[in-house]
Amino acid sequence: MNPAVLKQYARRKRSHKIAMVCSFAAAALGLLALAWILATLFAKGFGGLNWAVFSEMTPPPGGEGGLLNPIFGSIVQTVVATLIGTPIGMLAGTFMAEYGRNTKLTMVVRFINDVLLSAPSIVVGLFVYEIMVRPMGHFSAWAGSVALAILVLPVVVRTTEDMLLLVPDSLREAASALGAPRWMVIQQICYRAARAGLITGILLAIARISGETAPLLFTSLNNQFWSTDMNAPMANLPVVIFQFALSPYEDWQRLAWVGALIITLAVLSLNIAARALSAQRASDR
Amino acid sequence: MLDGVVKVLTRIAAITVLVMLGGVIVALVDGSIPALRAYGFSFIYTESWNPVTEKFGAAAPIFGTVVTSFIAMLIGVPLSLGIAIFLTELCPPRLKRPISTAIELLAGIPSIIYGIWGLFVLAPLLQRTLQPWLISAFEDIPVLSNLFAGPPYGIGILTAALILSIMVLPFITSITRDVFETVPPMLKESAYGLGCTTWEVVRDIVLPYTRTGVIGGVMLGLGRALGETMAVTFVIGNAHRIANSLLAPGTTISASIANEFTEADGELYTSSLIALGLILFVITFIVLAGARLLLARMKRAEGK
Amino acid sequence: MNDLESKTVSAMQERPNVDLTKTVITDDTKVETPAEKISIRNLNFYYGENRALNSISLPLFDRRVTAFIGPSGCGKSTLLRILNRMYDLYPGQRAEGEVLLDGQNILAPGTDLNMLRARVGMVFQKPTPFPMSIYDNIAYGIRLYEKLPKSEMNDRVEDALKRTALWDEVKDKLNASGLGLSGGQQQRLCIARSVAVRPSVLLLDEPTSALDPISTAKIEELIYQLKTDYTIAIVTHNMQQAARASDFSAFMYLGDLVEYGTTDQLFTKPRETRTEDYITGRFG
Repeated sequence: MNPAVLKQYARRKRSHKIAMVCSFAAAALGLLALAWILATLFAKGFGGLNWAVFSEMTPPPGGEGGLLNPIFGSIVQTVVATLIGTPIGMLAGTFMAEYGRNTKLTMVVRFINDVLLSAPSIVVGLFVYEIMVRPMGHFSAWAGSVALAILVLPVVVRTTEDMLLLVPDSLREAASALGAPRWMVIQQICYRAARAGLITGILLAIARISGETAPLLFTSLNNQFWSTDMNAPMANLPVVIFQFALSPYEDWQRLAWVGALIITLAVLSLNIAARALSAQRASDR
Repeated sequence: MLDGVVKVLTRIAAITVLVMLGGVIVALVDGSIPALRAYGFSFIYTESWNPVTEKFGAAAPIFGTVVTSFIAMLIGVPLSLGIAIFLTELCPPRLKRPISTAIELLAGIPSIIYGIWGLFVLAPLLQRTLQPWLISAFEDIPVLSNLFAGPPYGIGILTAALILSIMVLPFITSITRDVFETVPPMLKESAYGLGCTTWEVVRDIVLPYTRTGVIGGVMLGLGRALGETMAVTFVIGNAHRIANSLLAPGTTISASIANEFTEADGELYTSSLIALGLILFVITFIVLAGARLLLARMKRAEGK
Repeated sequence: MNDLESKTVSAMQERPNVDLTKTVITDDTKVETPAEKISIRNLNFYYGENRALNSISLPLFDRRVTAFIGPSGCGKSTLLRILNRMYDLYPGQRAEGEVLLDGQNILAPGTDLNMLRARVGMVFQKPTPFPMSIYDNIAYGIRLYEKLPKSEMNDRVEDALKRTALWDEVKDKLNASGLGLSGGQQQRLCIARSVAVRPSVLLLDEPTSALDPISTAKIEELIYQLKTDYTIAIVTHNMQQAARASDFSAFMYLGDLVEYGTTDQLFTKPRETRTEDYITGRFG
C-alpha cells in the first residue's frame, strides 16, 4: 500500500483513539462527580447522624438540637403537594390518552406541559407568592404545598399519558364489548394495566419535589419551632439547609450537612425505587 | 351519564395545565407592573441595583445568567456528548445500564446539594488550584488576562458555571443517548463497511443524522441551566455588577430572587425582583419551547 | 461458465475434505482458471452460546459472483457478515476457523478491520445513503484513504457514478441530498459508494429486497458488469436472481452448507434433495 495512504490512515487512527479516550474520560468524569458528591455528603454528614437529629428541634446558634421540625415539615408539605397534584395530573393525563387522544387540546397541553416540566422552579415560587402569600398577607405551609403541587403536576401528567398509551387498545375494546362504560374501562382496566408505570411517575414526582428549595423560600418560608399549622410558616429541610449552610455557625453548618445527607439519600432511594419498578414492569412484558 | 361527568372532569384537569401557564404569566406581569412603570424598557439594560435609592436594573443578573449558562454549555455539551458516545458505542453491554443510571442519578440530586458541595468543596479547591493557574497562565495574553483577572475568590461566575455544567450533564446525556440509539444500525454498518473508525461513524454519520435531536437536548439543558437557582445562589457571590473577569463574583436572575426576595422592602424592590422572574420565565420558555419543537420534529422524522 | 470450472467444483464436492486453497487444476488444457479470492475453511460462528454456522468450507472465486441462498435463519447473512468482520461490532459474536483473503487469514487477531473493510465493500438490504450530498456520499469513502486534488476527486466520483449507471440521472444535482433519490437510485448510490473506495471484494446482502422489479433488474445488470473487476458475494432470497446473476451458488440450511456448486449445476441437477426441495419451492 502506498505510503501516503498509510500516513493518512495513521492520522485517522490517531484521531479515533483521541476521541475514544475523551469519550471514556467524559464518562469517568461524570461518574467521578457523582461519587465525589456522595462521598462528601457521607464524610461530612454521616458523623452527625444520630437520634437527636430525628427527635429534637432546630437549635439556636451554639445550642444542641436536631432537624425534627424541618423533617416533619418537609414530609407534610410533600404529602399535601402530592395529594393535590397527583389527582389533577392523572385526570389530565387520562384525558390526553383516553378521551381526547389526538385532539388539538391534547397536543397543546402536551407541549405546554413539557415546557412546564423543565421551567425554573423559582418562578413557581414567585407565582404562588403572588396568588397566595400576598393576598393572604402571610407565608404558610399551604402556599408551600401548592407551589410543590405545581411542580408535581407536569411530571404526573406526562407519565400518566405515556403509561396509558402503552395499554393496548385491544384491552379497551374487549372491556367495552362487555358493555362497560368508558370510565369503568379506564378505571378498572387501563389504570390497573398501567399501575406500575403510574406509581413510577408519582415516585419520580415526589423525588423531584422533596429536594426543592427555591419554590419554598417565599411561600412556606421557614419556622424555627414545631408547627403543625398549615396556615402558618412551616420549616422544611431544604430551606433549613440553605440557611444553616450559609450561616457562620459551625454547629449549624454541621446540621446542614446531616440534612443534606438525609435528603439526598431519600431522593436517590425514591429515584432508584422508581427505576426498579419500571425495570420490573419492562421485564414482565 | 357518569361517563360524561368523568370526561368533563378530565378535560378540566387538562385545561388546568394551560391555566397554570396563563396564571404564571398573568401573575408575573401583574407583579412587575410597578417596576416596569417606573423604569420602562431601560430596566433591561440598566446595571445599577440599589435598594437605597430604589434604582433597579436587570442588566447584571441577565448578564450573569447568560454567561454562566453559556460557559456551562461550553463545558457540559462536549462532556455529555462524550458520555452519550461512550454509552452507545463503547460501553460493554453489561455496564451500560449501571453507568446510565449513575449518570441519571446526577439529575436526582437536589440542586441545594450541588450548592452546598460547590460552596464547601469545589470553590475552595478551585481557589487553590485552577483559579491561580488560570490567572498566571493568561497573565500576559491580552483579552484573556482580563477574562481571568484575579484575585481567586473561589466563588464567582466560573465556579457557578462549572457546577451548572455538571448539573446539565444528565439531561443532555440522556436525550443525546436516546437519539443516538435511533440511528439505524444498518446506516452505521454501512459506514463501518467502508472502513470508518468508530469516531468517524459518530462524527460523520451519527451526529449529522441526529442533529435536530441533539440540538433539542442541548437546548433543554440550556433551559435548565438558565433557571437553576439554589446551586448558583451558593457559589456565585451575589454581586450586582458586570465584571470583566470570570473569576469575579456576579449574580444571576434566579440567585438575585432567591437571595433578596424575602428581604425586599418596598413595592418597587419586590416588583423589580418579580420583573426579573418574568424575564427569566420568558427566556426559559422560549428556549424550552424551541427544544421541545426540535425534539418533536426529530420524533416525527423517525416515525416516517 | 466453462467446463473446467464445473469440473473443478464438482471434484471438490465429491471430496468435501479437500483443501480448497490448494485445488490445483491438473487439466492440461490452457483455459484461464479463476483463482480463489477468498477461502473459507471450517468456519464456525456463535451468537453467544448459540452456534449459527457449522464448519463451513467453500471458495469464492476471483471475479465471479457467488450466491448464498437458503431459507431465513439459515446463516447466509451471517456468513456474509464474517467476510468483512462486521460481526465484530457486536460483543458476544465470534467466529472460529479460517477465512483467507488473498491467502491471509482475516479472522486472525490483529487483523486491521478498517483496512480489511476498505478491501471488502458491503451493500445492505435497504439503501443507506449517508446524511450528506450525493457527491459527498461517494467522495466520503475516497477521502478516508486518499487526499485527492479537487479535479481528481471529481473524476473519481464521476467514474463511480458511471460504473453504477447513475451518472446521467444525478449529474445535475450532485449537491442535493442523497436521501432525495428513489429507492433504486439510492441503492445504486450505495454500490457506487462502495466501488469508489476500490475494494476487490463486494458483499451484497439482499441488495434488491426493498426494491421494485425495474430497479432490481438494473441492479442485477450492474452486478453482471461489476463482475469484471470485483469478486462478488450476494445473499438473496430470490431464486431467479441467484440463477440469473451468479456463477456459483451455495445452499445453506440451519447453519450447514448443504450444497455448493456452479449455479448451473445447483439449479439444474442438485445433488441433495433438500436443495432441490428449496429451489423448487417445496419449503422455505
